[in-house]
Amino acid sequence: MKRFIATRILLSIVTLLILSILVFVASQVLPGNVARNILGPLADQASVDDLNSQLGTDRSLVVQYWDWVTGLLTGDMGTSAIQQRSVFDIIGDSVVNSAKLALLAFLIVVPLAILGGVYAALKEGTLRDRTISLGGLSATAVPDFVWAVLLIVIFPLGLGIFKPTATAPPGSNVFEQVYYLILPAICLVFVLFGYIARMARAGTLEALDADYTRTAIIKGLPQRTVVRQHVLRNSLLPTIAVVATQIGYMIGGLVVIELIFNYNGLGKALFEAAQRKDIPVLQTGVLLVGVVYLVATLAADILYSVLNPRVRLGSES
Amino acid sequence: MKRRQERVDAIRARSTERENHLIDEYRFGKIGRREFVRRAAVAGMGLPMAGFLAAACGQARDPLEQADEAQQGAPSKGGTIRIGQQTPSGALDPVTVNNQGGLTVLGQTGEYLIWSDRDLKPQPRLAESWSSNDDGSVWSFKLRQGAVFHDGRTMDAEDVVTTFDRLADPDNGSNALSALTGVLSKGGAKTVDASTVEFTLDAPNGNFPFLTSSDNYNAIILPKDYEGDWEKTFIGTGPWKLGEYRPGEGITLLPNEQYWDPARRPLSEKAEIVFFGNEQSLILGFQGNQVDYVVQFSVSGGKALLTDPTVVTTELKSSAHRQCHLRGDIEPFNDKRIRQAVALLVNRTNLVDGLLDTKTDIGNDSPFAPVFPSTAPDVRQREQNVAEAKKLLEAAGVADGFSVTLSTWQGFEMPDYAQLLQQDLRQANIRLNLSITDAGTYYGDATYGNSRWLDSQMGITEYGHRGVPNVLLGAPLLSTGTWNGAHFKNKTYDKLFADYTAAIDLDSQRAASKQIQELLLDESPILFTYFYYFLSGAKDYVAGIDTTAMGHTDVSQAGFV
Amino acid sequence: MTASTSDLPGADPILAGAVRPDTTSTEERAAQRERLRLLLRSKVFVVGALIVLVWVVCAIFGDAIAPNDPFATDPLKDLTSPNGTYPFGTDRVGRDVLSRVIVGARDILIVAPIATILATVFGTALGLVTGYFRGAVDNMLSRFIDAFLALPTVIIGLLAIVSLGPSRWTVILVIALVFAPIIARTVRAAVLQEREMEYVSAAQLRNERTLYILFAEILPNVMGPVMVEFTVRLGYAIFTVATLSFLGFGIQPPAPDWGLQVFEHYGLISGGYWWPVLFPALAIATLVIGVNMMADGIAKAFER
Repeated sequence: MKRFIATRILLSIVTLLILSILVFVASQVLPGNVARNILGPLADQASVDDLNSQLGTDRSLVVQYWDWVTGLLTGDMGTSAIQQRSVFDIIGDSVVNSAKLALLAFLIVVPLAILGGVYAALKEGTLRDRTISLGGLSATAVPDFVWAVLLIVIFPLGLGIFKPTATAPPGSNVFEQVYYLILPAICLVFVLFGYIARMARAGTLEALDADYTRTAIIKGLPQRTVVRQHVLRNSLLPTIAVVATQIGYMIGGLVVIELIFNYNGLGKALFEAAQRKDIPVLQTGVLLVGVVYLVATLAADILYSVLNPRVRLGSES
Repeated sequence: MKRRQERVDAIRARSTERENHLIDEYRFGKIGRREFVRRAAVAGMGLPMAGFLAAACGQARDPLEQADEAQQGAPSKGGTIRIGQQTPSGALDPVTVNNQGGLTVLGQTGEYLIWSDRDLKPQPRLAESWSSNDDGSVWSFKLRQGAVFHDGRTMDAEDVVTTFDRLADPDNGSNALSALTGVLSKGGAKTVDASTVEFTLDAPNGNFPFLTSSDNYNAIILPKDYEGDWEKTFIGTGPWKLGEYRPGEGITLLPNEQYWDPARRPLSEKAEIVFFGNEQSLILGFQGNQVDYVVQFSVSGGKALLTDPTVVTTELKSSAHRQCHLRGDIEPFNDKRIRQAVALLVNRTNLVDGLLDTKTDIGNDSPFAPVFPSTAPDVRQREQNVAEAKKLLEAAGVADGFSVTLSTWQGFEMPDYAQLLQQDLRQANIRLNLSITDAGTYYGDATYGNSRWLDSQMGITEYGHRGVPNVLLGAPLLSTGTWNGAHFKNKTYDKLFADYTAAIDLDSQRAASKQIQELLLDESPILFTYFYYFLSGAKDYVAGIDTTAMGHTDVSQAGFV
Repeated sequence: MTASTSDLPGADPILAGAVRPDTTSTEERAAQRERLRLLLRSKVFVVGALIVLVWVVCAIFGDAIAPNDPFATDPLKDLTSPNGTYPFGTDRVGRDVLSRVIVGARDILIVAPIATILATVFGTALGLVTGYFRGAVDNMLSRFIDAFLALPTVIIGLLAIVSLGPSRWTVILVIALVFAPIIARTVRAAVLQEREMEYVSAAQLRNERTLYILFAEILPNVMGPVMVEFTVRLGYAIFTVATLSFLGFGIQPPAPDWGLQVFEHYGLISGGYWWPVLFPALAIATLVIGVNMMADGIAKAFER
């Protein structure tokens, strides 16, 4: 067990290293001159050259990479020359925002989807099962911007409830913030429901089929007890795995939703950084997304293997 | 009556030759009343006096006066006024700001010597009055007494001098250089005494006051010891001071109780500027009541607002436009007949009525927008003529058409404009391949050889409003111009440009303008097809917001009705 | 069952049951016929196939079917609501939305499948190599793949397109690049199981060349998961093409690309101009749903 965890952590670190190189190279490949981007197209070349040496963008790539990585390890994320703020501030704020939205969305979609998936499994083959499964599938298939647009038209513009942007005015309390975040959260619910429900359903079906379940039924336990004590645990496992992988997507991949709802999450921050060629923010931000994803999947894998043997051995109440 | 005439004579006796010439132009009906008042103010005559002369010497009311949308009611005190605008790109540094989002912010807590208002009239702010010598090469500004920076220090001449030295210094790479190069150099400003500044120009310039005004939006007056980090303090002398700055999100402004003009101290308790990443979310936010006012919106993006009964839109004629350059030193546009043909193929009616919903003036392929008084009014307007275009193409040997790449970037209505041009040119078998990227890629390094803007065969570039056409005539069209995507090198043009800049009275300006306009129609290096109006929107429950075609937004007198 | 390696929702885990044991060719053909029959009987598959067929017809015969020229602008008639002449209304420069939706099928049905095919080819090759060789090669490549998969598709797409400039080929390349690792993962798992089979050791004993073993022996036996992955990824490719276009990074104007149409018009919805957005959005949604339904059917058929 310990060896398993240690190996996985080691592998993750290697992956992280490779990721950092990939990200660095990708950022350097972006066209455009850093100082030129800051000073704008109308500044004269001499000032541009000056700024470039000030920022150190004219040094060799290896040196720049080394500086960046060692900086990160000591907690120094550098400064964004374009925005004149520390990268830590920019990314920190946006990560907090993304986390809030992700939390709200998960709080809604995970219980909903698990309920839906388990229910569909229990009613396997019936119309209700088909509806939930296909409905979920269809909802996921619809691109997030389509949902976003529909929801904006129906709710704030049509019915006058909720808000067309997700950024609450400064100083709002929790409830107000939720009120602003509810629409993008619902978008995410539509996008994620089908997938999570499908996982829960598959896990439930597998559990229902398993020997220990049959044993419990033969023993005469009522279905509800069987479901609660044995099946549910097994159907939760794939769900955990799925939820973990979605965290990476939620923290950095929601570019479209954040743009439409004008919400300063990490996805939007990275999108704008790429557009403006804000290399420090882009590099560190993209790396951060990768880190979140790797940590989440690592945690999911470990959790899964910790839980698994117990379930396999058919532990009872 | 006689007393009035005596007074007029007394004024004229004291006035300079130029001012007298101006009064004569007005008396003989060559310029309208509005224009007279404006030019008199530019020349340094106080507005009250100009107004008096206008009434005393003038004709009936100028029939060309344009009606603005009036914002109804008198605003009440108190409350928080919220304005929405696009997120400033780049740092908020008065020296380097070069975008709409940034300039609106500068003008809130910062203040200019002169405020160029919605009618292009210069209003005194930190400068009480100004005047020039006879040929317009030395200007003297008398400064406001008692204007105080937000940190308590009094503004004086040295602050003004250091401000302009900083802007004119090539080492600082300020955005203001585009206005000041060739006009004012570092060291050209001098203190005469604590409240008078003298500007010695590189060359005579009749429009100089505008270059010290809000039109030159980097020119907010800063303390003499300013070294940077404006974002920490938003230091200035304006009616608002910084409450809180939340980068990427917005700004809270508080009234400046020490503001020098008691009549213009803010009515509201607080002003909130809210940033939006793009026009769509700005408009959605406005409709969703996140903000009470939208600083600027485009026709294409804001159609919803134009038909919304709860929104009061302000339309200001402006000189904002798009330049579609036809690069003349390489194929296919190295033959002026082909360039003329392209200009003749464009359906301008479609653009004016369709693309811009009539919220625009039509353009005649020169920077002389109808809004400029110096635009010669008697130049024939070019219109679509497909037959003529085909004849020209045949004469040039390309009756079968050709392919050419049109570059531009994804912003405003430019992609739509590009697609409409594509359709128009199809009629003569000219196949446009569109390459629409982001702004950064389009501008590149902004130097020849490293920029699609300056290197492409054909490109559409956006130009914001300016109070006078000097910059538009210079950088994009001079042989030595740094914005010359058309690679237009024409000695006659260079000479006419010099004539125009040196011209001080309206007649000579118009004469030079007419020659320039006709030369450009003939050579057609750049298509100017429309000069669109500046549009801003307010909810019907707010009033008192003053705006200019450049986007400066004065909310000190704004309030709820 | 390890955590799924896709950052997009909906990727299926490895279908352990899809890997087949060695069979003779007649048995295989019989199995394939059986699978086909199952497919055609699955209502889900048939409905999905019909939807996709409609769009394929539009893609091929679009010019003949479309009532108007999808590129003909008429700014004086911009944003007119659906009526007799223009059943789907006109867009912001006066073009017929119906015609653009019909002809728009072509772009996406060219770009998405090509990208997916490329991704499948690369991914399968990658999966074969890493699954067969194991050891250092597998470890390094797997780390690379992991690193890649840690990033959201949109971000990768963004970087690539900002670097390379937006065009059909950049979009194809980006999608192929992003999906290949995901497919590689699945194929690798399948190969891991296959390599333990007798026919592989038999081939090794015969001293067959490695390439032969990979592509002639193992590959045919992992075609199941490959096919399933292809169809699932196709749905995502369509989704991704639309999203990249929506961000302004995809296919360029004046192409009647559906995502691009939504991008150009979504700001206008609040003004009541819903038609230039709704119809292309519905087109995207129906096509993706159709492909997903087909993928679902195929996955089930291969499960037996």
